[in-house]
Amino acid sequence: MIRHFAWIDLFYLVAALRWTLALTGVAFVGGTCVGALIALMRFSYLGPLRFLGNLYTQVVQGTPLLVWIFALYFGLAIFGFSVDAWTAAACALSIYAGAFLGEIWRGALLAIPRTQWEAGASLGLGFLHQLRYVIVPQALRVGTPPTVGFLVQLIKDTSLASTIGFVELTREGQTTTAATFQPFSVYLTVAGLYFLICFPLTQWSRRLERTFHVTR
Amino acid sequence: MSLVEITDVTKQFGALKVLDRISLHVERGEIIAIIGRSGSGKSTLLRCINGLEPIQSGRIVVDGITVNDPKTDLRRLRQRVGIVFQSYNLFPHLSVARNITLAPTVAKGMPAQDAIKIAHDVLRRVGLEDKINAFPDQLSGGQQQRVAIARSLAMQPTLMLFDEITSALDPELTGEVIKVLEDMASSGMTMLLVTHEMGFARRFGSRVVFMHGGRIHEQGPAADTLAHPKTRELETFLSAVLH
Amino acid sequence: MNGGRLRSLLMAFQRSSALGIERVSYQFEFRDVLAYWPDLLSGVAVTIMLALLGMAGGVLVGILGATAHLYGARPLRIFATAYVEAIRNTPLLVQLFIVFFGLAQIGLRLNAPVAAIITLIVNVGAYATEIVRAGFQAIPRTQLEAGHALGLSGYQVFRHVVLVPALKMMFPALASQFTLLLLATSVVSLISVNDLFYTASIIQSQTFRDFEVYALVGVVYLGLALACRSGFALIYRRAFSRR
Repeated sequence: MIRHFAWIDLFYLVAALRWTLALTGVAFVGGTCVGALIALMRFSYLGPLRFLGNLYTQVVQGTPLLVWIFALYFGLAIFGFSVDAWTAAACALSIYAGAFLGEIWRGALLAIPRTQWEAGASLGLGFLHQLRYVIVPQALRVGTPPTVGFLVQLIKDTSLASTIGFVELTREGQTTTAATFQPFSVYLTVAGLYFLICFPLTQWSRRLERTFHVTR
Repeated sequence: MSLVEITDVTKQFGALKVLDRISLHVERGEIIAIIGRSGSGKSTLLRCINGLEPIQSGRIVVDGITVNDPKTDLRRLRQRVGIVFQSYNLFPHLSVARNITLAPTVAKGMPAQDAIKIAHDVLRRVGLEDKINAFPDQLSGGQQQRVAIARSLAMQPTLMLFDEITSALDPELTGEVIKVLEDMASSGMTMLLVTHEMGFARRFGSRVVFMHGGRIHEQGPAADTLAHPKTRELETFLSAVLH
Repeated sequence: MNGGRLRSLLMAFQRSSALGIERVSYQFEFRDVLAYWPDLLSGVAVTIMLALLGMAGGVLVGILGATAHLYGARPLRIFATAYVEAIRNTPLLVQLFIVFFGLAQIGLRLNAPVAAIITLIVNVGAYATEIVRAGFQAIPRTQLEAGHALGLSGYQVFRHVVLVPALKMMFPALASQFTLLLLATSVVSLISVNDLFYTASIIQSQTFRDFEVYALVGVVYLGLALACRSGFALIYRRAFSRR
């Protein structure tokens, strides 16, 4: 039965948007944990740690997100883990986000001038204390605009979870299209909904960047 | 006819009047030192002369060309007026040779061999002929400034403008640049310098123009005016600069 | 690809994994997947082609967009901004569906490869617009002034003073954009374009070797990405270092 693209469909799309945001949230938290670890590893004095961190980043950034999603969804089942779409998508996105966030935060750490380290050291602070009290607070400020920018990217990347059947906004769009046979209206609406969420974040990221530069 | 005729020129940045009814005539061969506090309008005046800044009222005529006339081909004017900036503004991606030969070959259509010969000549005049194939980031500040002077000289201008060209240099590097200015002065080039170098102004300047609050507060023969300022403001300024 | 040596290597891996992992009652069988190597190769070719076409078209669009943004009239600037923001704030997958499914509904029926290329060009174009614009805006005004002060025309200043430094600034961003594009082309598999990722899903459905297929394809993508990075680094050094 082909029905018309009506307000009820818009309601379902917006409801599916919740899952987009939920997946984004989980992936961001997961990615933050991984990313913070990676950033510190790549920044540490120990060669092997740095190497592992760099290896992780290169490998994850050099493979498409779809590969991770499919590998985790289909591949993990082989090892005896029962993986549902939500878990696979959340894990894949966390792994993916971890590499990019790690890169952003390592950049933020590197952006703090050597003179700050020297000031901390002259006061008698050790490496970890310098990091905690002097460097990281400043790095957080530097790293926030690109992190918010990446959050936008993450929201868009959740659309790929639709490929393994996870019902977020894009998947709901596919379902609605199948029911109404109006892909143009449906997908334009879907795009519009993504835009409504992403655009304010993009603007915020830009504003943060400007304020940061002004205060510097 | 004077080489430069500035008549009743006013320039504003929004509500701020930077030049207030300035009139100044510059004869061929004169060396004018324009001095004054920062914000007195000296650099702006210089930049108006070759059309880098527009004026709101008045007239500027350089070598017969009216600068503020909208119909004027500023490009042709600028080929006759050389300007050297405080931050040298060399083109970092081009070698010294190319920096110097760019305008003659591209804007004047000069053949490459002639341009290179001129490059050698001007670099010899500023004492940097051996650096002809170097790149700007391989040179010291003083050397870059001298290349900038050479670059302007390569266009064989009738008038040279200098906008505080020693202000960005370390003290020990200003000497080499001053020497180039002295050579140019001796060879009869018409020069307008916005400068803090009172020594050069006193020895080589024909006239000193003291600007204050957008107006020409006092002017006169260089050595004389600097030794015996007539107005209080100039006296204060000189005592601050010369301690 | 030396099949024989690779096979013996994989058999060794197989034996070790069969021995080492007791819990898993699964044996890795890359052989089945590798038997499809002609299809995988053509998948790689399609992926590379999509990336090249998408990048070429996208950069062209980017140049147009940046020009519109920097020099266009207000309506043009607004249009360029709207285009960039619309693309950057919506997922590539949705853009693909709009072009392939959506346009078909309103009468413009495109076949999958064409729809894929158009979507990629439109997508890359938005990011390229920003990169090109940033490249040109990064040139300090003082460089432009120095060029104009030497009597160069607008076009001459662009060609000799702005172009090369701007390209140098843009190159790293454009290079990483290409690498991202290469990986992002995997999305077109969802409208059944025969790229590397689509080939992978086909092989998966025929051999049921899920892990091996995606692991192998992942490694191939990784190889392509690393090749791109080193390739671009080499080009950058060759093109933009001292001649």
